[in-house]
Amino acid sequence: MNRTMILQMIVSGALMGQVYALIAYGFQLTYATSKSINFGQGELVMLSAFFSLTLINWGIAYPLVVVGGLLFGAVLGLFVERAGVRLALEQKSEGWILLTIILGLFGFSTAENIWGRDDRPFPTPISSDPIHIFGIGITPLEVSVILGVFAVMGLIEGFKRYTLLGKAFAALAADRDAAGLMGISATRTIMLSYALSGFVSAMAGILIAPITTVGPTMASTLILKAFSVAVVAGLDSGFGVVITGLVLGAIESLTSFFLGSGWREAPGLLLLILALAVRPTGLFGKTTIRKV
Amino acid sequence: MIMGKRQLLIHGSELFLFGLLAAIPGFINNPYALGLLTLLAIYGILLIGLDVTVGYLGQVNLAQVAFLGLGAYTAGLSVTLLGMGMVPALLLSLVVGLVCGGLLAFPSLRLEGPQFALGTLSFSALTTTILNEWESLTSGAQGLSIVRPPLFGMHLKAQGFYWLCLGLLALIWFFMKNLLSGQWGRAFEALRDSPIATDAMGVGCFRYKVAAFAFGSSLGSLAGGLYAFNFLYLQPQSFTYDLMVILLLGVVLGGRKSLWGAVIGAMIIVLLPNLLSNRFLFHLFAAVGLTLAVVAAVRGRLHKTTPWFQALAPVIAMGLLLVGGFMIGNTEDWRKAIFALMLFSVVVGLPEGVMGFVGRFFSRLLRMAPRTLPISAPLEVVLPQLSPGNQPILTIDALQRHFGGVKAVDGISLSIRSGQIHGLIGPNGSGKSTVVNVISGLYPPTQGKIYKNGTILPTGSLYRVALNGIARTFQNLQLFGELSALANVMVALRGMYRTPFFFILLGLARSEEQKAASHAMALLELVGLAGKSATPAKDLTYGDQRFLEIARALARRPELLILDEPAAGLSRPDIRQLMHIIRKIHQLGVTIILIEHHMDVVTALCDHVTVLDGGKIIAEGTPQAIKRDPKVMEAYLGEIPAVQQEQAEEGAC
Repeated sequence: MNRTMILQMIVSGALMGQVYALIAYGFQLTYATSKSINFGQGELVMLSAFFSLTLINWGIAYPLVVVGGLLFGAVLGLFVERAGVRLALEQKSEGWILLTIILGLFGFSTAENIWGRDDRPFPTPISSDPIHIFGIGITPLEVSVILGVFAVMGLIEGFKRYTLLGKAFAALAADRDAAGLMGISATRTIMLSYALSGFVSAMAGILIAPITTVGPTMASTLILKAFSVAVVAGLDSGFGVVITGLVLGAIESLTSFFLGSGWREAPGLLLLILALAVRPTGLFGKTTIRKV
Repeated sequence: MIMGKRQLLIHGSELFLFGLLAAIPGFINNPYALGLLTLLAIYGILLIGLDVTVGYLGQVNLAQVAFLGLGAYTAGLSVTLLGMGMVPALLLSLVVGLVCGGLLAFPSLRLEGPQFALGTLSFSALTTTILNEWESLTSGAQGLSIVRPPLFGMHLKAQGFYWLCLGLLALIWFFMKNLLSGQWGRAFEALRDSPIATDAMGVGCFRYKVAAFAFGSSLGSLAGGLYAFNFLYLQPQSFTYDLMVILLLGVVLGGRKSLWGAVIGAMIIVLLPNLLSNRFLFHLFAAVGLTLAVVAAVRGRLHKTTPWFQALAPVIAMGLLLVGGFMIGNTEDWRKAIFALMLFSVVVGLPEGVMGFVGRFFSRLLRMAPRTLPISAPLEVVLPQLSPGNQPILTIDALQRHFGGVKAVDGISLSIRSGQIHGLIGPNGSGKSTVVNVISGLYPPTQGKIYKNGTILPTGSLYRVALNGIARTFQNLQLFGELSALANVMVALRGMYRTPFFFILLGLARSEEQKAASHAMALLELVGLAGKSATPAKDLTYGDQRFLEIARALARRPELLILDEPAAGLSRPDIRQLMHIIRKIHQLGVTIILIEHHMDVVTALCDHVTVLDGGKIIAEGTPQAIKRDPKVMEAYLGEIPAVQQEQAEEGAC
């Protein structure tokens, strides 16, 4: 047991944490426009990974597979918005929580029956032989995860800040009624946010699939950790998820080493409950003033 | 008292249900059926508990499955490790749920919607992890075998155990019916509709949210104890997310806020696996579901009551279930998808659940008369005359409230005399509402003190201010939308509910309930809403909603009543009615702070007026004096000489 090993675990964990951060970022996108999140997002991650795997098996080139997978994720996101979220938002109810859980369950069952219950490897052209830097091994695959996460987040953040359509997000988040009066269609912006959120979770699925293998349950624990990153950082924290993802990933990797892999999920879950108790708006979130 | 048709029907059908359930083992001697019945009773208890948080509190609670597991392991371990009997083991399960549920409620207290769901989801996942990994105690994934302990020395066979479960279900039905039909049930629903008003009406979010969660969870863990003694073998994998979704299916499908709904939901959960294993039954079920969905869709579209999506989505889902049913090989493999389709159709197409639908259908079929209205108590009993006194009742001393750099209230000192109507006016953004929100405890002051009758008033807590005899209404209405007008007032009545908790469970609070209803009726009469007492608050007209807020605030029997822009948005006749109501309240000796923009209302009603601008007091005095005050005119109309100058210039052009 030496220092390098611990460092190695911290680094690998922190890198994995970026995938949680990416999914959590997907929650932020829809939360900003509609104060809702997709509780079945994990199934979106899994279904997109399976779809991409099928494309690979058809012999399609890897870059095209990525594009296809991402588009598939976006379409699923749109479906979730139409079938599970819009009606509840129109009725100003919280029915979307239950409906997105239900849609997730349906997706899970469908995947189980179409692609089978077993975990399958996800071939990728990127190598998984570690490169050693100061004695710590990092694989090109892990590097690709980081690059992919930052590329997607950077792209969407740029879209939100520098395009008119993207600024509608911020407008809707600030004041839905005023945004409507200024000619911003809430429905269309929410649709767009769900499509982007699906896009983001597909990216997460494609990035992590080579590391974890693909199976119906591949995202069931992943999603819990993404929830926890989203809540601990705050559902409107922007890049706060990156830091939280780093920290949670590292803690989790150490916990799994010292207490056994069964306890892997425990720190994330505990942190989520603690964060809700102490600071429901999250570490990087904004507090608002109640008005009556 | 002679029972009405409604009462007779309700009690009769309850007796019939339990009589039938108890008698079934007598004429059907089938161990499999007995097993299903036992499970029905166990899930019935669990769902009644889940309904408290899902139905009454209106939150998506994903922790009930964890409490089932905790209860099961508690009961199992207390038998295997501690050698307890059945009764102490079950009691221990109940207590574990009560304590853990109460503790979990703390972090969830300030949470709503998605955060609540996430918190409870994490708790469930954490519980599964602990049950799996704490192997020295739970033997982890291997599972825990239990021997059914004796009940008072008797060794129960399957039939005896069933009657025990059924007996407990009946007992819990009786208790929860008494609890939820009274103040507790109203308070839970009030909490769901407006936490702010729940605190401001002195009901108290904290106590009721913790209690609701603790009660609901304790029933879950009691069901867990029974579950352990039924299956006699426990595995952590039994208590996962999938089961949780099925439990939610039970509550939603059965019907929220209904004991019948919980038992019907339990029946559905128990029968579902059998439904799936028999192909013919499954097709039949899907066909019936599709027919119902189509009928509902056609009716809804003809009457134009349901939007297109709500009408079509259940038809598509049920159609998929029917067509898919013929295409797939094994229904068991598609179990989750089938649940999902059913649940989806119900949540979208039948949000009130089976019971909500059946209840409406029966009351129309049997032409049941609406509940008779309570007779109102004399107003002088409900609101005893206060002596005017003309003493300072509320004194504000150098009050400040800043939001970041904005000084919304910037050093206000004010004295309000008892028995007066004290007007608080000023242009928009002058700090009126902030002053009132600080007095009533919504915001803590940045600096300064508030005294009531010479003693210092607690700050920063709506609830504690409400207990000090101050009541308020809200500029943006904060009614309990789903509750009837009568229940809105009843829930706020001060000093009314004194029956100890256990007596309430036993149904000994009925006379108190009647008294509460009669007091609430008197207040509704005062504001002219007696005829609409059974209408849900959200269905009242805007004007009536404003009057209902006043009646509800009066239920606090306040010494000081704060009316925050009561005339905003009201029509002329409604404003006349409002002025009439305010005069009547004034005659009863209640001190009133009136925030208002309608100068005619202020002039006609107020004894004394304070004018604010920019967070400071710019004038004080009688309405007549205020109207002539140049500073006031300036605040409202801008600098007068400047205007005249402009006009002169325009004329010159």
